[in-house]
Amino acid sequence: MSQKRILLIDDDPDLRLALRLPLEASGYAIFEAGSVVEARTAVKEIKPDLIVLDVMMDTTTAGFQFALELHNADPRSEFNEFSQVPIIMLTAIHSTTPLRFAPDEDYLPVQTFIEKPIDPAILLTKVRQFLGEEVT
Amino acid sequence: MDRSTSSGSNNKVFEIPIPGSRTLVEAELVDCVAWLIRLRWFVGVGVLLGTWGMGALFGLHAPVVPLYAIGAGILAYNLAFYLVERGFTQTSAGTIAFRRLSVWQAVLDWLAMTMLIHFSGGIESPMIFFFIFHIIIASIFFSPRTAFGFSILAAALLSGTALLEYYGILVHIPIVGFLDMPLYQNSLYIAAVLFFFTSTGLFSAYLASSIQERLRRREEEIIRLSEDLQRATVRLQTLNDGARVINSTLDLPEVLQRFVRNTVEAMGVRACSIRLLNKETQILEPVAVNGLSQAYLNKGPVDAATNPVARRVLGGEVINIPDAPNSTLLQYPEEARQEGIRSVLSAPLLGKSGPLGILRAYAVEPGRFSREDEAFLIAIAAQGSIAIENALAFKAIEELDLAKSQFIRTVTHELRSPVSVVHSLLRTMTTGYAGQVSDQQMDILSRASRRVDYLQKLIDDLLDLAVGKADFWKSEMFEPVDIKAAVKKVVTRFEPISQEKGLLIEFLDETSPGVTRVLATQDGIDRIFNNLVSNAVKYTPPGGRVTTKLSILGDKARVMVEDTGIGIPDEAMDHLFEEFYRAPNARNVEREGTGLGLTIARDLVLRFGGSIQVERLQGAGSRFIVNLPVAAPS
Repeated sequence: MSQKRILLIDDDPDLRLALRLPLEASGYAIFEAGSVVEARTAVKEIKPDLIVLDVMMDTTTAGFQFALELHNADPRSEFNEFSQVPIIMLTAIHSTTPLRFAPDEDYLPVQTFIEKPIDPAILLTKVRQFLGEEVT
Repeated sequence: MDRSTSSGSNNKVFEIPIPGSRTLVEAELVDCVAWLIRLRWFVGVGVLLGTWGMGALFGLHAPVVPLYAIGAGILAYNLAFYLVERGFTQTSAGTIAFRRLSVWQAVLDWLAMTMLIHFSGGIESPMIFFFIFHIIIASIFFSPRTAFGFSILAAALLSGTALLEYYGILVHIPIVGFLDMPLYQNSLYIAAVLFFFTSTGLFSAYLASSIQERLRRREEEIIRLSEDLQRATVRLQTLNDGARVINSTLDLPEVLQRFVRNTVEAMGVRACSIRLLNKETQILEPVAVNGLSQAYLNKGPVDAATNPVARRVLGGEVINIPDAPNSTLLQYPEEARQEGIRSVLSAPLLGKSGPLGILRAYAVEPGRFSREDEAFLIAIAAQGSIAIENALAFKAIEELDLAKSQFIRTVTHELRSPVSVVHSLLRTMTTGYAGQVSDQQMDILSRASRRVDYLQKLIDDLLDLAVGKADFWKSEMFEPVDIKAAVKKVVTRFEPISQEKGLLIEFLDETSPGVTRVLATQDGIDRIFNNLVSNAVKYTPPGGRVTTKLSILGDKARVMVEDTGIGIPDEAMDHLFEEFYRAPNARNVEREGTGLGLTIARDLVLRFGGSIQVERLQGAGSRFIVNLPVAAPS
């Protein structure tokens, strides 16, 4: 089975490193994008099997908007072929953040959330789950 | 009755407490009518007894039948007057009814008097002197002119009777045995009696009227004074009530609004306004108004620097403008005219550090405000100034607290992100994903990681604290939260760690089946009980027990978190909910704690309209009791 490709979209290189290390150690091919703009091209070039996306980048909702763009059900969308790629969203959302969502809400364009700081074990569990791999 | 009552809508305050809303003068008339009726019983009985005694005791002979008839007649019509008067009093009839009754009394009394004289010898009657009483009574009741009229009428009635008898037109009915020789045809005697009777009558009328007039003036003075006194009492009462009401809140708009309303009521005026000085712009901004139109308020800016009245009032003067539309002092006389305002009284609101603004009363009558009104407005302004200053100070403190909380929020939000990255990076090393590390390196990394953990928790707590203080959670964001489910979820969360530690953790539901909801936020409720249960678990040694109990107490949901832990020392009881406070024995159990958990819990409980208490349990252990109001079923 070929190596699964994961695209990390986060504007913080240090956090990308914290994500990359456990994922690489687990045998995934890791690609990075530092902004939504970079991510738009990267998605098409890399054709990832899974995306890890930070919810807050340039604006508090940039990541969220990108996820909506990607998972757009419209067949004419330029990202149509990626509409089924699972997205794990990183949140550092505290109870005081004005924007609140819970993963069980149907309309959200992401599959799950992971809270910062990143716990490598949780990250790996969720990645495996959404790549349809056996959870060991 | 008084100029202050004619202002329309506010008479109520000055109403003099007499049944049927009569003035004191009117009440006097009513009393007088009743007094005369009481007096007349004696007159009627007196006529009957006199008629009997005349024959029985003195052996005099007169036609007793008409005299008895007159006596009975007096008693009969007096009974009628008595019944009518009682009816008037019960129905609180108007003054006019009583005045009419008094006229009828006079008419019948005079008729009875004239007949009595006729049947007791006409000009020879010894009873003619009784007419003087009637003249005096008329002088008491009526104006001096009417009293003189009555004395002339008395003279006319007497002379009419005398002359008719003199010429034989009317039969002369003497009292036999009273006079040796008849005098009713002695013209000199008649003339003399008539002359002296008339002059005595007129003189009596003059004397009685003069005395009555003086008494009446004095009485009116007393009445006016007592009305003034009553009004002053009402004002003082209002002032006193006002002080209580105004000082019962620290909410500035509420303080100001109550203040203007009280002033309008206490002074019985059309309107009242407060303008507070904006220290930066020097504009006096209208902040509370009662009784003025929006159009008048929008008349234009009142600049403390240029407005002549404002400048003087802010300097401490009271300015009384009796004729506002034609005043040269007022900046907006035309607008005052359109608003129907004739008098304006302005007093300064003076704070400890200088003028706060202007209190103004407006009336529709010209020259409405007296010296007493000026003194009253100063008093009320002084009282209001204290309340306003308190509210302003309170507002400033609240704003400061809010600014502080916002600052903490901003800072902690900024801190949170890098700390969480450091945390994430350290974890890649401690979990071995960043390659092998030596034991010593691992030890160092673990220590660093633990410190960062604490830092993260501190930041989160600070953020919670700032949020609890800040007005972040508006009550419209509250939702009905299923308290049973929420508390149970928290307890379940701590089951694994309790088992690991060897604690018994339990949740007891003492509510009846069905859902109990409180108006709060899901996160807030979770945070409150997370903090309480986590403390209980943390500070209870292995083998102990942590019990969380939910019950309903009236309209409150009560959650008790009890433990058999280390307990709370005496000296810690008063400080437990203070920010950053940690009990000495808590430090021994866990070195690093933020000391914010209970503060956050308390702030949240208060925000949701509840209360929180702590009790020490016998032996060791503690009990935290949270009461939250149950939400009304939607």
